[in-house]
Amino acid sequence: MNVIHLGPRSIAALTLTSAVGVAALGWPFLAPPRSQLTAHATDAPWLFAGLLILLVVVVAATISESGLGPKAVAMLGVLAATGAALRPLGAGTAGIEPMFFLMVLSGRVLGPGFGFTLGGVSMFASALLTGGVGPWMPFQMLAMGWFAMGAGLLPGARRLRGRTELVLLAVYGFLAAFAYGTITNLAGWPFLSGTASNIAFQPDGSVPGNLARFFLYCVATSLGWDLGRALCTVVLTFTLGPAVLRALRRATRRAAFESAVTFEPR
Amino acid sequence: MHSGSRPQQQARASETPPPAPPRHRTHPTPLHPAAWWLWSLSLGIAATRTTNPLLLTLLIATSAYVVAARRPHTPWARSYSAFVKLALAVLLIRLAFAVTLGSPLPGTHVIVTLPEVPLPDWAQGIRLGGKVTAETLTFAFYDGLKLATLLICVGAANALASPTRLLKSLPGALYEMGVAVVVALTFAPNLIADIQRLRAARRLRGRPDSGLRGLLQVGLPVLEGALERSVALAAAMDARGYGRTADVPPRVRRTTNTLTLGGLLGVCAGTYGLLTAEGGTYGIPVLLAGVTAALAGLRLGGRRTPRTRYRPDPWGARAWLVTASGAAVAAALAWASVHDPAALHPGVIPLTTPTLPLYPAAAILLGLLPAFVTTPPEEPS
Amino acid sequence: MIRFEDVSVTYDGATEPTVQGIDFEVPEGELVLLVGPSGTGKSTILNSVSGLVPHFTGGTLRGRVTVAGRDTRTHKPRELADVVGTVGQDPLSHFVTDTVEDELAYGMESLGLPPHVMRRRVEETLDLLGLTDLRARPISTLSGGQQQRVAIGSVLTPHPRALILDEPTSALDPAAAEEVLAVLQRLVHDLGTTILMAEHRLERVIQYADQIALLPGPGEPLSLGTPAEIMAVSPVYPPVVDLGRVAGWSPLPLTVRDARRRASDLRQRLAQAAGSRAAGAARVGAGGTPQARASETPPTATPTRRTWFRSRITPSPLPSPHAAEVQALSIHRTPTRALTDVTLTLTPGETVALMGRNGAGKSTLLNTLVGLIPPTSGTVLTGGTIPHRTPPHDLIRRVGLVPQEPRDLLYADTIAAECEAADADASAAPGTCRTLVTDLLPGMTGVPDDTHPRDLSEGQRLALALAVVLTARPPLLLLDEPTRGLDYAAKARLAAVLKTLAAEGHAIVLATHDVELAAEIADRVVLLADGEIIADGPAADVVVASPSFAPQVSKILAPQKWLTVAQVKAALGAPGPRS
Repeated sequence: MNVIHLGPRSIAALTLTSAVGVAALGWPFLAPPRSQLTAHATDAPWLFAGLLILLVVVVAATISESGLGPKAVAMLGVLAATGAALRPLGAGTAGIEPMFFLMVLSGRVLGPGFGFTLGGVSMFASALLTGGVGPWMPFQMLAMGWFAMGAGLLPGARRLRGRTELVLLAVYGFLAAFAYGTITNLAGWPFLSGTASNIAFQPDGSVPGNLARFFLYCVATSLGWDLGRALCTVVLTFTLGPAVLRALRRATRRAAFESAVTFEPR
Repeated sequence: MHSGSRPQQQARASETPPPAPPRHRTHPTPLHPAAWWLWSLSLGIAATRTTNPLLLTLLIATSAYVVAARRPHTPWARSYSAFVKLALAVLLIRLAFAVTLGSPLPGTHVIVTLPEVPLPDWAQGIRLGGKVTAETLTFAFYDGLKLATLLICVGAANALASPTRLLKSLPGALYEMGVAVVVALTFAPNLIADIQRLRAARRLRGRPDSGLRGLLQVGLPVLEGALERSVALAAAMDARGYGRTADVPPRVRRTTNTLTLGGLLGVCAGTYGLLTAEGGTYGIPVLLAGVTAALAGLRLGGRRTPRTRYRPDPWGARAWLVTASGAAVAAALAWASVHDPAALHPGVIPLTTPTLPLYPAAAILLGLLPAFVTTPPEEPS
Repeated sequence: MIRFEDVSVTYDGATEPTVQGIDFEVPEGELVLLVGPSGTGKSTILNSVSGLVPHFTGGTLRGRVTVAGRDTRTHKPRELADVVGTVGQDPLSHFVTDTVEDELAYGMESLGLPPHVMRRRVEETLDLLGLTDLRARPISTLSGGQQQRVAIGSVLTPHPRALILDEPTSALDPAAAEEVLAVLQRLVHDLGTTILMAEHRLERVIQYADQIALLPGPGEPLSLGTPAEIMAVSPVYPPVVDLGRVAGWSPLPLTVRDARRRASDLRQRLAQAAGSRAAGAARVGAGGTPQARASETPPTATPTRRTWFRSRITPSPLPSPHAAEVQALSIHRTPTRALTDVTLTLTPGETVALMGRNGAGKSTLLNTLVGLIPPTSGTVLTGGTIPHRTPPHDLIRRVGLVPQEPRDLLYADTIAAECEAADADASAAPGTCRTLVTDLLPGMTGVPDDTHPRDLSEGQRLALALAVVLTARPPLLLLDEPTRGLDYAAKARLAAVLKTLAAEGHAIVLATHDVELAAEIADRVVLLADGEIIADGPAADVVVASPSFAPQVSKILAPQKWLTVAQVKAALGAPGPRS
């Protein structure tokens, strides 16, 4: 099932945006000390936050243009609302974020294009709902988009069912939930000024040194959180996964996304 | 309309622009939400130009005063206090890092010496514990306060600008995505009500109506109900004209595509330039060109939907004033940070007492303008 | 205006066409009512006008449908949006935005109307539908009738020439239904809008119809005619028509007013018949004991009543003489008080109809009886225990509630799993629930066990939820608005089931807007207004005195206290010596 079909233009836009996204996240390790970015290390995260907003908007417009029918938009809205409603559930308790589980399963059932859009729209909607729009939002939108899109790109979307599929989704969910945490850390890390702390990004430092600092930063800030989130995704996939997958597949069948419309003369 | 024979039909055809729009507004026109965002972000940019705690405190006070005076009585307005708490947490975490993990800053005023835990070789000289100096703490405090101020300014925008009105101002090219977000915003409260209702209904089946298990079991029926409703909603949207497209000449469509993709390519190339040591010269110009092209593509892409807006927020004189006041603050501090860096970045080594520079401080007070030029919020009904 | 030319629709995966040979025309400016039993394809016909069938649903449409000259084969629903407005059954799933004003403008925004036109039409529509005071309100805070009016308004703003409505009043109380129907009548009369509407509750709408299109059964051809012509042959009809048939009136009366004019003769016959019978039976139904009523009113649509239950569902024995006792109950909920000083006693074997406006506190009272809401003051006892302090697995043996939305009770994804879970919840013998389902609805045997409960029809789903609740054999059964979306046949089946249950000793409370159902099965009617009980007494006494809650038969035959056609039939069937 591929509810939102990505045309060549959307794929091109998505690839280019992802490339800039990778640079926006990985620049502390990619940029040599003599580059412009490192020279303005305190301003770089702001530049990228602004740039990513624009890029996410452009990708969204390109995907919209290639055809977002009413069925896809309504399902997008409803699932994003579900994701957004699930998000505050776990906000207080370490890493219990059922939203990730829903994103993995929706991406799997409804395809990569829908997954990417859903991830972005969900983060945007939940930021609006909770009044949490901030410089982290574009990074989160992109990361969540990748996360749900990845689930849609997993092999065997049409054939693989049952236990094997669950294991596949759980493994992906675990790794990707962890990766999501690392990505958001990577986005937040450069905001910590280099001279303020020993675990902050040091523009003139070596790559291994910065990697070590980043690793310690992750351990110090969010390891427990990320682990909780990854485990929560795995547990939910195994317990509720089969039922939710059935519900999603049933809904897509009922919505008749792919059924043919024919007319015959009298 | 296909035929214009009926009287009603003709009445419709004669719907030419009226002499003046009917004055039915029962409430004062709210300020354009984008103006609030520009004002808040400008204050945020101003905050990034300085580490002077007195100036930063003044910025926080300015935004807090405007929020207190102009915050509407809506749920999202409560997010300001959430942002303040977040800012405080950020500040405290920064200080905790500085205490436990130390900083590369050489300092002489040792406050306390913690027991030091040696870390393995790969940790590249990072230590746990050790000397805590006044310089380290002061710098961490200044830096943390800068970020906290920024967060509080963003929080002000979240509290002052209505998210639904902001959505109305989305560019036409994002129409479909905008509808999806509107649906999500409308639907989320219903969903929470559904969860509560179904959780209570578990009692009717003789199952406990509290606990995590109950929540999980209710989750599935709620999801199924939501998906079912999405199909009904899609049908209603289709029948109400969602997704009508205007005829766009192929030339315009090609231009849109070229601008969008070319713009993205430009942004990519510009970013690459910034990332490399050699690209320093062309990085920024190429990036800017890419951004401009992408924005133009976005604007042109809006032509494909014929959709119009009901009661759009006017961008009037007050919106200009509010935006200008924010921009003035940002510009003043940016200018001062270049011409008087010492005052805006009080020294840490050696430790000096920060002083309040007169002109930048006066400039920050310009940011209070919105509290006087905008209309106060409506009382809750 | 709307033309069907020999139309058949076959959905994907279906072997038979859902509707076939549909050929009729709705003339401009008329209100045509589409009637027929459930499952005959009414929704398919309605949705093919707006082009949703087959563009949205998929499937094959043979023949041709045109609206205002536009052919749905070449025009997608969105391209018909300016000539047809469609309002579905559930207004809540119709809304895209969250406030009244934005919702009214949404359709016009999609069509790209200029802002000043939108502004004017929103104001006009707010005035036309009486929504001006609600313009800035969030839609979720509105009552059902207000929501339905907003839904209608939201499709009116693009000035469509035809309006398609699918059961616009079935979820509404009588007063709110009147509001909506008055609006529709105004549209037809003042603006010349063409309306095609499906509705189960014929007693509410038939007087507004210019013509009726009848779908007598699945796959059968549609016939179009004047209301009187169609009602003479229709398998679904309101009580007034039923009474007309019983009395042998021709042409059939369609409104209470028509019938009253002719009823003097019938009233006389009834008075004679009643006079000739024993004094106790004379005032049939008027405060008769439950036992007497259960035996005297044979259900109209169920001649095989005694085979309803293979196994008698005897309620578990009660520790107290009352099924429930409510003393001086008050419930406060900010900002209003939901119930004030309510005192009520329910005895086994009694059927009580709880009536009143939307928001009068009916659902609150039912929810209090099952402990969903703790009382603010006063006491509630159900089966001798305090409901909100009783553990749920114990409570379901004392009281059962079928909520307004039976779906809320169903969690599993097959009927079989649902029934097994119900047996386990109630610690009943395996198979109890499944047997109950078949007993309640013999038609359910044809439905495979692995059907998803959400794929059932409204009537089937209600039967399943009722069976789930009855598995624990509660002596007190509560039903909230059970007839929502049911056609006459399903309603008659429900009435028969409830009568049997009452005869077996269950106390039954139904909160309902459906005056005909209340008249048919209730011994006692409790009227609630603003959270207070304003009337409590024998059904005949209470409803006959109330203009909005009186059933059609009692309006026609007043001042005599007859409530249902069945009673009249029974009285005439036992003629006195002089007739």
